[in-house]
Parts: sequence; structure tokens; C-alpha cells
Amino acid sequence: MSWLSRLTPRGPGSRSSRNVAPSSPCTADPETCLMVFENHWRQVSWVLEQRDSSSSSDDLTAVRNHTDQMLCLLAEERPGECEGPGNVPPVGPILDLVVSENVLERVVQWHLRRGLDPDSQGALLKLFEMLIGQSQQPLLQHKAVLQPLLGLLGACAEPQLGCPPSLENSLVLLLNQICVSMARAPAVLELLFRTVPAQQGPTNLLIFSLLVPFIHRDGAIGQQARDALLLVMATSASNQNVACYIAENSYFCPVLATGLSALYSSLPRKIEVRGDDWHALRREDWMGVSSLVLFMNSLEFCNAVIQVSHPLVRSQLVDYVHNGFLVPVMGPALHKSSVDEMIASTAYLDLFLRSITETALLKTFLRFILMHRHDNDTILDTLLTRISSNSRLCMVSLSLFKTLLSLNCEDLMLQLVLRYLLPCTHVMLSQRRAVRETDLYGKSADKFLSLIPDCCRLSTLPSAEQEEEPALWGKVLNSPSSESPVHHKPSTPSRLALFMRQQSTGGGPSSPTETIPSSPGAGPNTPLSPDSPMHPVPEGLDWESGYLEYLRDARRGVELCSWACRNWSAPYDGEDPSPNTAPLPPPTSNPSLALFPEHFSFQQGGGGGNGGGINSPGQQRAAVVAAARSEWSSTERDSGEWDVTIGKNSCISLTPRTKKRSLQREEVPLPKPLLLPPDSAPSADPHLHSAPTKGPQQAVFNGTSLGGQGDGCMDSQDGGMKVKKVKRELGEQRHPAGGDSSQNGGVGACPTQAPTPAQGFYSEGNGSGAAESSRGLPPQKQSPAQHQPAPLPSEPHTNSSNDRLTPHAAAPGPGSGPPDAMLSNQSEAVERLISELLDGAGPGEGGQQGPGDSNGQGISIEAFTQELRELEERVRERSRGAGLLRQLEETTRDPHSEEPPPPPSPLDADLVGSGVGAGAEPKGEGSAVGVFSPARPLGQSSSQPYTGPFMVVLFAKLENMLQNSLYVNILLTGILGQLACYPQPLLRSFLLNTNMVFQPSVKSLIQVLGSVKNRIEMFAASHEDFPAMLKKAQRYLAARGKVDWADSPMGVPTLRRSDSLVKSRKPSLGDLILRHTNSPTRARHAAQLALAHVRDGGQSLHSALFRGGAGASGLEKQAEALRVKNAVYCAVIFSEFLKELAALAQEHAVSVPFLQSHDTEE
Amino acid sequence: MNLNPFWSMSTNTGRKRSDGEEQTGQQSGEQQQRASPARPSFGKKQLPSIPKNAVPITKPASPAATAQLANGTHASYGPFYLEYSLLAEFTLVIKQKLPGIYVQPSYKSALMWFGVIFIRHGLYQDGVFKFTVYIPDNYPDGECPRVVFDIPVFHPLVDPVSGELDVRRAFTKWRRNHNHIWQVLMYARTVFYKINTMEPLNPEAAVLYDKDVQLFKSKVVESVKLCNSHLFDQPKMDDPYAISFSSWNPAVHDEAKERMFTHKRRPEDHHKGLQVSGLSWVKPGSTQPFSKDDNPPLS
Repeated sequence: MSWLSRLTPRGPGSRSSRNVAPSSPCTADPETCLMVFENHWRQVSWVLEQRDSSSSSDDLTAVRNHTDQMLCLLAEERPGECEGPGNVPPVGPILDLVVSENVLERVVQWHLRRGLDPDSQGALLKLFEMLIGQSQQPLLQHKAVLQPLLGLLGACAEPQLGCPPSLENSLVLLLNQICVSMARAPAVLELLFRTVPAQQGPTNLLIFSLLVPFIHRDGAIGQQARDALLLVMATSASNQNVACYIAENSYFCPVLATGLSALYSSLPRKIEVRGDDWHALRREDWMGVSSLVLFMNSLEFCNAVIQVSHPLVRSQLVDYVHNGFLVPVMGPALHKSSVDEMIASTAYLDLFLRSITETALLKTFLRFILMHRHDNDTILDTLLTRISSNSRLCMVSLSLFKTLLSLNCEDLMLQLVLRYLLPCTHVMLSQRRAVRETDLYGKSADKFLSLIPDCCRLSTLPSAEQEEEPALWGKVLNSPSSESPVHHKPSTPSRLALFMRQQSTGGGPSSPTETIPSSPGAGPNTPLSPDSPMHPVPEGLDWESGYLEYLRDARRGVELCSWACRNWSAPYDGEDPSPNTAPLPPPTSNPSLALFPEHFSFQQGGGGGNGGGINSPGQQRAAVVAAARSEWSSTERDSGEWDVTIGKNSCISLTPRTKKRSLQREEVPLPKPLLLPPDSAPSADPHLHSAPTKGPQQAVFNGTSLGGQGDGCMDSQDGGMKVKKVKRELGEQRHPAGGDSSQNGGVGACPTQAPTPAQGFYSEGNGSGAAESSRGLPPQKQSPAQHQPAPLPSEPHTNSSNDRLTPHAAAPGPGSGPPDAMLSNQSEAVERLISELLDGAGPGEGGQQGPGDSNGQGISIEAFTQELRELEERVRERSRGAGLLRQLEETTRDPHSEEPPPPPSPLDADLVGSGVGAGAEPKGEGSAVGVFSPARPLGQSSSQPYTGPFMVVLFAKLENMLQNSLYVNILLTGILGQLACYPQPLLRSFLLNTNMVFQPSVKSLIQVLGSVKNRIEMFAASHEDFPAMLKKAQRYLAARGKVDWADSPMGVPTLRRSDSLVKSRKPSLGDLILRHTNSPTRARHAAQLALAHVRDGGQSLHSALFRGGAGASGLEKQAEALRVKNAVYCAVIFSEFLKELAALAQEHAVSVPFLQSHDTEE
Repeated sequence: MNLNPFWSMSTNTGRKRSDGEEQTGQQSGEQQQRASPARPSFGKKQLPSIPKNAVPITKPASPAATAQLANGTHASYGPFYLEYSLLAEFTLVIKQKLPGIYVQPSYKSALMWFGVIFIRHGLYQDGVFKFTVYIPDNYPDGECPRVVFDIPVFHPLVDPVSGELDVRRAFTKWRRNHNHIWQVLMYARTVFYKINTMEPLNPEAAVLYDKDVQLFKSKVVESVKLCNSHLFDQPKMDDPYAISFSSWNPAVHDEAKERMFTHKRRPEDHHKGLQVSGLSWVKPGSTQPFSKDDNPPLS
């Protein structure tokens, strides 16, 4: 009821300044006052009684003066003495006279009779407003007051007279006063409602209909009107009649709701953003935008009305908001085709969701998002596709999902994730029981922590050194990379120091800081045996010391989340709701398949190269190549070689089975020796050269192609293992491997494989495998030149221009030599190419917008595929150009994440656009990028478990961490952390149970993380100054976090809901880098300051890297610098994320569920 | 504030070590009593407070620990794992809601839990037995936890001198993931309802039970009386979280009782302003969003 408290009527005193009466004899005693009043009244009534209708202006003046005096007296009059506790105090003598003589009625009628000129109308309005606002005794329940008042108001409502704009202020003020009095004496409402002036129509709550037009007004008048209306709402909350009237006979609800639409349409289509970290509208962002302020006022008003009003009114308003605003306005707005508009509408929706607090209103918004279909896609689908897009839109979308997740809404979680997990098909049959298991012994936490790359564990720099940041910077700027610190691995004991430090600093007040709990037996042996964990190691591990903070935050997160979910309808523990009753999400599911294990292995084989990602294009094509696949699988599947290969791929997914061997750890050492040679071993040059440059290119497409990348990366692990186990002479095997290398951008796969005996093969694979498309199709071992488009002629790649671009862009690298050789004069051709490709994408996009039914689209898809193929032919012809194209893309992307106001390059915009379209096209069969569509593509067999678009897109994005910008990673990991707080065993086990055995086609979080780890280590190994860069990145993030924190107290109020979940963090070291704290906008100036340095750093890093290659273009340098920067930040965020996940896993094991609340008070 | 004492227990790490020593000292008395070698191996392994035995006891523990350390650099988090494993065990105990059994981890060590068991019917009816659970520090890879009654109850499976309950017979091999401390507690309760005289720690009780139930019963009654007469004694361990009894004092206890009954657990730092609504419009039994047709459950 904060709204109401805000509306407390002004006390009489506060208004004395605008007292209308020239002189008031208020000091006089009641007797005298009455006499004076009577005197005035005599004179007025003398004028009134003149039948003569042609009253002079003198009359008017006289009446007005006398009335002024009289009403002042009336207002000043105090009620009589109360004669008993329960009795109403008797009316004062003046009021008594007013009632008995019907003074007001006669005055008003006289005015009305002689015709109300605006002047006297205004005077009367003011008089009444003064009277009602200042009266010492309740007036409105007297008919003698109410009736003339309504008469006056009725006149204001009359069409012919109306209320001139100049008087609107007075009118609204009067109405506001009436409502305030009414709120004090709710009985008045009934009187107002029943006292219908004769001349008014059958239905009227006059005050109400007079107020409604002002609902959306700007400024004070609008605010007064809304306040007044709100008072009516609150007062009428228990009055069925009035509620009915409001709902059925007034335009209140439609005006309010459709007004939102009008106001929305005037919002800026494009949000001018200042920092590259901007991702959500905060209060200070929109306070200066008047149209947005106006909208937010009205939205807040809606929220408040829903809060206080009668259920009838509430439900009607909610309906109108849905049908009059969300569906007709918000829906199309979210589907606008320009990126700017998408960004704006997404940010608006996010802001709205954060601003509304009323459950009913939230429900409407959520229902709209989850259920409403716009062009056949739910809003949710559309929003999901945006996550995969380019940076800004992605960030805004992630931010929106963060808001959504913070609602802890069962319906939302059901649609987003749980319904895909419900059937439990993602888990091996034997593992279903494990869904509910808690990780008692910290195995999962251990696993997560073990994934922290070794190269990120080096942050044990002496604390003294930490203070001299500027000096360090200077050093790096001047003599970059000359003396990068030795990569010294911390010894195990040093890591123990972490713990000791925790102890010595006392930890947190309520955190579990115990080390080895001293059991009865612990005493004797604790004294510092050298290898005892208690042995203090005097090494600074500031950076690492955040784990306790993570534990505390995790406990808080888990606790709040499970508290918020305590009223959910089911526990989602794999048994309730039953996996059998749960409808499989995709309607096309074919249950028979699920019954045959062979089919699974068959699927695996088919997905061969996919390594278990639905998101891999190869898998999307499953249907298309089904025939071929079954052929080869039937013949080849039984051969030992193939088994191994298949096993290989499934091996990825089955990591848990072999977890003892710790896949990651095994592979870690491999890359390093390999990566050293880049300079020393000229023979490796082409690969190494081309490898790094692939990164950015993937980033450009990170929305669309990352599915493939992700797979590639997993495969790379596989590949590594494969090499160890099997002789790989078969070409089929090498395809996957090749695919990896290209997909990984040379980061993940190549090095992994290179050190193996198959080195010679590796180079070959690199060339041939450049086309990831061939990965899934072992039979087609073709020469590098052939295999990009050829294998997949029939696949309906409607809009896959991006997807297509990837292999092409990658291909030329190895094929045509180092990219440096590209000639700049080819850029023209490249541009042409781009536009051609994008044109090609256009139709596809349009098609997706429409109903994506397979039958409806078949033809156009084929046509389009044809077109695409032709385009691709041309692309290949100009493969060298394409190489340049890649560079271009890198550079076009560069400004986007670097420069604060990104000029939306058409290229970028369109890329995003087509990416979005791609995602939105789920129903088109075998959509190449349909990854993100909620209903899985038809091409993918329904027997394949599918964890839903949300998880898939998040994982894909996560897998691409190394290329994501810092802010994307911050948001992304924040969302995953948020998801990991949910206590529902299905979700918890999916994310956090690292021992769980999933179906081969289901990618687990731990797998994705493993591949990221590998990539980071690859990267680190290939950059000798990585440790220095890492330290710098850590330091700047920490510095930034400090500023953020210092600033936060002022920055909080934007969000009114559970965001405080995230807000109140301690400025501990752990937090400083913890992602949500650094809500990027929180301290923009500070952030930008820090970033400026970082940018400098990037430059310097860049110059360090490129000192030798003076010939390279500046753009390329920038791209490389950006790539390095992203990767280094990624390494930092990644390590922290792992700690957070580990902490979450531990806290889940010790959380006690909350009981369902039976009370509604919260 | 400390709704869950367990958390605060874990906060005071600083003192822990010294406390551990104190505790050792305290137990030494008990130690000496434990001369009766009914189950020598058992006692040897378990009672850490015997200085002589300390080394052999801890030795088996340290290899496990160091092995873990050797595994990877993340081993420094190991202590957290032990801590959290025990927390998780305690959480399981809470979830089990064992009838008549209350436990409370000690302030000083998560490896020592104080408990009390109320026997509500049967031979030991009205018995209130305080006990302490000792969890091996290489948990969960070590032996099963030990249960030692403060006062040796007259029972075939309770060592008449040390008061230790023969837990091991029920958990010959402690299997992580399968065996949990709540099972031990459950077992400790069961022995008072179903009396087993096989391989007794207290042969006298076993023989009496088999041969002369009446005498056995009277001895049990005596023992119960004895235990109950010491109910209000100071706790054996000087630990803030040791369970201590005092007679009902309305001034003190009524309010506490009232609070216990009205208490609703909320997230630790949940404040009123925070609206974590936990929205749900899913009809129970349905998996369709917005299938609940009435008004929102929470207003």
C-alpha cells in the first residue's frame, strides 16, 4: 500500500498559502462566525432570489465574493463537541445552516442557470476544492454538499460545456481532493455512486469518468489523476457495485491498457548506448527519456491498480493489458527486423518485467512470453534465438532471461528447461535414480574445481607486487612481453595456503571455515607435518581466496531459490511429475525408437561426428542423410574401427563412466609442448598461423556456428583419445578430426592431435576437415575442395548463410595459405559476396517468420537451398576473397564490442537478423541452425533426447566462451549460476551432478566446461605472455569490481524485486570478479576507466603479439588484440565460474528444503 | 540469528585446534576406563584420544587425505569437502526426522556430534540417554562412526565401562554413498527395542536377558533410573553445543517453546522487503504452464 501512503492528503496547513478567501475571520468564535455567515448568505440569497435571469456582472461579483467568504467560514468551522466516545460529533452550526438551507445547491444552480462561464466555473472548482480539502468536518456525506458538487462536476462532464483545458488542473485537483476525502470515509463512495445527478446518464461514477482521461497525462496533473483513481480503486476494492461499474461501464481498463500501447509507440526505437557493457535499462538510463518516464509511470500505475483494486477490475485490467498492449504492440515490437529495434524492445520488456511487482500482472506478462504465438513462434522462442546473436542483442536477451529466472516461476522453468528434462530421456536408463541423489562427498565440486585450467592457477603473485599496477602497466606498454614471468605452477601445498589464509583472516562471520575438523583423533597429528594440509604455506593466494565467498553466496542463492520454489506444484525429481506422463516436448516424437537401444547407438553412429550435440549442423541433417547413414551404418557399424569411432563419440558423452581417468587432466599436458613450436618449427607454420585467426571469425558467427564449434571441441577431446587408442588410417575418422580443427579455430583440436603419432595426418585433416559439414558424414571423404556443400545437397538450409559462411571462411586458410597474403583490393568482391549471401539469407528469414510448417515451406526451402549452393560455389571460387571476408568480419565485429556506440554496420545487423531468423525457423525440417528452436527439428530423431533450446543455446554460447566478450561471459555464467541454484533434482542433476551418465547425444555442462578449459589452455600455451595478461585482467576486473561495489548503494533502487538477491554482496575479492556484482552499468564511469586501461592493454598486448608482423593490416591487429583480450578475460571468468559451480554443488548437498507455505502472507 | 547452530559451529575454526586438545583431555578419563577389551581392535582404532594410539589412528587417515591432495591442485578444497560431507550427513539426519533422536554437531568439531535418545516404550521405556557420535576423520572412507553413551546403559551391546555401543556389527564395512550417519542413529535407537545378545559387549546383560529376563528388566530399570538421575548434570564435554538438560522453567522455556512451534524457517537473510514470490500457475499433476485456472496462489 505504499502508493496509498504516498497519497496522504495534504493537511490543511500546507494549503493555506493558496487560500482563496481574502480575509478569514477564522479567529472568531463560532457564534460570530455563524453570524457573519448568515449575513453573507442573506446577501447572496437576495441575489439568488431575483427571478430576473438577466443578472448583471455585479450580481456575479457579489455572489462570488460572498460565496468565497461563506465557504471559507464553512471550511474553518470545527465540528461540535463529541458527546460520547462512540458518537459522531454533531455538525457545526454553519454546516447545519448550509444543509438546512441547501446553500450550496442553490448557489451552484444559480450559476448553472445563468450559464457557467469558464471564469466562474474555475472559481467554483477552486472553491469546492478548497472546501473539501480544508474542511474540518466531513462534508461529503451531506447531500447538501454532495449534490451541488456533483452538479458542478456534471457540468464539467457535459459535452457542450466540458472543461476547458485551462481548468483541467483545478478539476483534477478537486477530484483528487474528493477521492482523498472518500478514502478517509469510504461510505462516501457509495453515496457518490448512488447520487446520480438527474441530468446525467443512467450510469455514472462522475468522479471516475472525469478522471479517466487524465490517466496517461504527463506531469503533476497526470500524477494527481492517477493518485485519485488509485484511491477510488482502493476504496472500491470491496464494493462489488462500484467494481462492476468500473469494469463494465467505464473505460478505465481499456484506456489504461491501450494507453500503454500508445505510450509504447512513442518510445525510442533505438536505444543510444554508451558503453559496450550496456545490457539493460536502469533507472538512470531512462529517467532522462521523457517518453519512457511516461510509460513507466503508467505501467507503475497499472501495477498499483492491480495491487489495490477489486478482483473484477484487476482481472479485466490484466486482460486488457494482455490483449490491448502485449499482444498487439509488444509482440510485433519484439519481432521487428532491425537489430536496434530488437535490442530496444528486448530491453524494454526486461525493464517492464523488473518494474512490475503484482503477481497478476506478472502472470500476464509471463503468459504472454510463454504462450502467445506471434507468427507461430512463442515469444519465448523468439527471445531464445536472440541469445545466440551478436553481442549487444545477445547481452540484452541474456539480461532479460536473467530477470525471468529471478522470478523463480514454475511455469517459466517448465517451458524453458524442465519439460525437456521431465521424460528423463537425457539420462541413461540406469541412471534415473541418480537424479535425486545429492552429492554428499563433494565429488562434483571437486570435478568442477579440477577444471580450472592450470594456466589460471598461477596467480600467486606476491602481494607487494599487486600494489604497483601502474608500474606494471607502464612496463607492459613499453616493453611488451619482453620479460613475461615464468609460468610457474603452484605446488599443491601452495594451494593449501588458500585455506590457511581463510583461517587466519577468520573467514566470514557465518561461513564454514573449518579445515580439518578436529576429530577426537586429529589432535596429535595436526602439528605441521610437512604434508599435512594444515601446514601453512606463506604464499599469497588472494585471488584464490574467494571460495568461501562463493560458498556463502551459493548457500544464499540455493536457499532463496528453494524458498521461492516451495510452492511449486511438483518437486521435479524424476518421479513427480512422472517421466511417463510428461508429454515429450516435440509433438513429432516417436516413442518406438526410444525402446530400442540399437537405435541409440545407431543414432550415435549417425551423429558420428556430432559428438552429441543437437546443435551441430550435422545432427540437424540427420534426417536428410538418414538413408545414407543407415546404409553405411549397417555395413560399417560392426567393424571394429567403426565401433571405436562411435564409441569415441559416445565416449564424450559418457565421460562420467570414465571419469576416473579424468579426461581433461589427461589431455592438459599435451597441448603445451606442441604449442611452443609455432615460431621454432617453420613446418608447422601454416597451421599455426591459420589456426589463431580462425577464432574471431567464429566469434562473428558465434550465434549460429557455435553449435558446430562446440561439437568440434568435444570431438577434439575425442580425437585426442582416439589417437591414443586406435590407429586411424580410415578417412572417416579423420573427418571428424579435421572438423574439429576447423571448428576449434585451431585452438582446441589441432594441438591435441598434433603431438600424437598422427601428426602427419593432422595437417591433412586440418585441410579437409575445414568443412565441418562433412564431419557427420564419414562416407564422404572427399578432397578438401569438394566437401563443403556437396555432401548436403538436400538439406534445407533455409537461412544458413552464416552457417555456410563458416566452413568457407575457414577453408581458404589452409588451402590458400596464410591470410596475410590476402590482397586488400579484393575487398570489393568480398563485399559483393557478403551482400549476396545476405540477400540469400533474406528469404530464408522471411520464411521463418511465417509458419514454419515443413509442408508449407518445402518448395521455397529447396529453392533457397539451391540458391545457397550456387552462392557457395561462387564463394569457393573466390575462396581467397573469402579469406579476406573473414578478416573483414573480424574487424567489423571489432568496433562492436569495442566502441561504445556501435554504428550498426549493415553487415552485422543482417548477420544478426539472419541468425535470428535461423533460430526462429524451428519447424522447418532440418533447419540448419534450428538449434535454438524449442521444438526440435524434424530432422532430428525424436528418440534423441533433447534438453531444450535454452540449455542448448546456453551451452553453445558457453562453449564459445573464449570468443565471447567479457560482458557476454559475465551475463552468461551468471545465468547458468542462477539456473544451478534451482533445487529441483532434475535441473540440479543435469547441471551439477558430474557423475551422472547422460545419453550420448546429450551434452553435459561438465563436457562443455571441459572443452572450454582445453581451449583456454591451448590459448595460454600459445601465448607466452599469458600469465602476465591474466594477472592484468584479474587485477582490472578486481579493481573494477571494487569501484562497482563502492558505487552500488546508490545504484540499487532500479529493481524492486528479488534482484537484491544479487545485489548485496560483500566487496570481497571473490566477489570482485564475481560476475553479477559487476553489473556492468553499475559504475559506468569507473568501468570505462578500467576498460580504457584494458583497451590500452589490449593494444599493448596486441603490439606485443604483432611487433614482428608490421605488414599485417591494422584491422587484423585489432581483431587479434580483441581476440586475445576476450580469451584472457574468459580465462578469468571461467575459473571463477568453476568455483561458483563447485560451491553451488556443495551447497545443494547441505540445503534443507522448505516446507510449502500454507499462509499467503509473505 | 543462528537458526541453524551447525553453521555457527563451523565458524569458529580458530579455536578448534585447542578445543580439540581440551576435548582429548576430557576424554582421557573415559579412555582409561576403557580397559575392558571386549573389542580391542575397535577401540584401538576409534578412540583417538589415547596418545599412544593416536599415531596409528591418524595414519590411516592421512594416506587418504594425501592421496586426495596428490590428485590435483584443487585438493586444497579438500577440507571443504569433508566439512560439507558432514554437513550433508547432518542434513540427511534432519530430513529423516528420526523419532526420539536429537543430535547436534559440536561447536568444536564437525566430527563429533552430541545426541540424546528418548525411548518411549519397551524395556527401556522412559530412558533418556545422552550419547556422543564420533566420526572418523577420514570419513567417508574410514570405519563407521562410533556411538558412546555418556553413561553406560545396561545393555548387551553397550560396553559397561566405556559406554560405547557396538555399532560396527551393523556396519561391518562402512560404504560411502550407502551408509549414512542417520542409519547409525537409527540403529542406536533400534537396539533398545529389539535386543540382541549375540557377541555382547556386556556379557552380563546378555546372559541375564537370555537367562533371567526379570532380573534383566530390573537392572534395566535401575540403569534407566541412573541415567535419568544424571540427566541434569553438566554435559560431559565442555562444548557450547553440548546437550544439557534443565528442569522446566516457564520463564525461560515457555517462550522458547512458543517460538519453536511458531517458527517458520525462512532463508537466512531473507528480509521482508524482498519479494521472492516463487510464482506457479501449474496445476498439480499437470505439466502445462498456466494450467491452474484460479487466481494466483500468492497475492
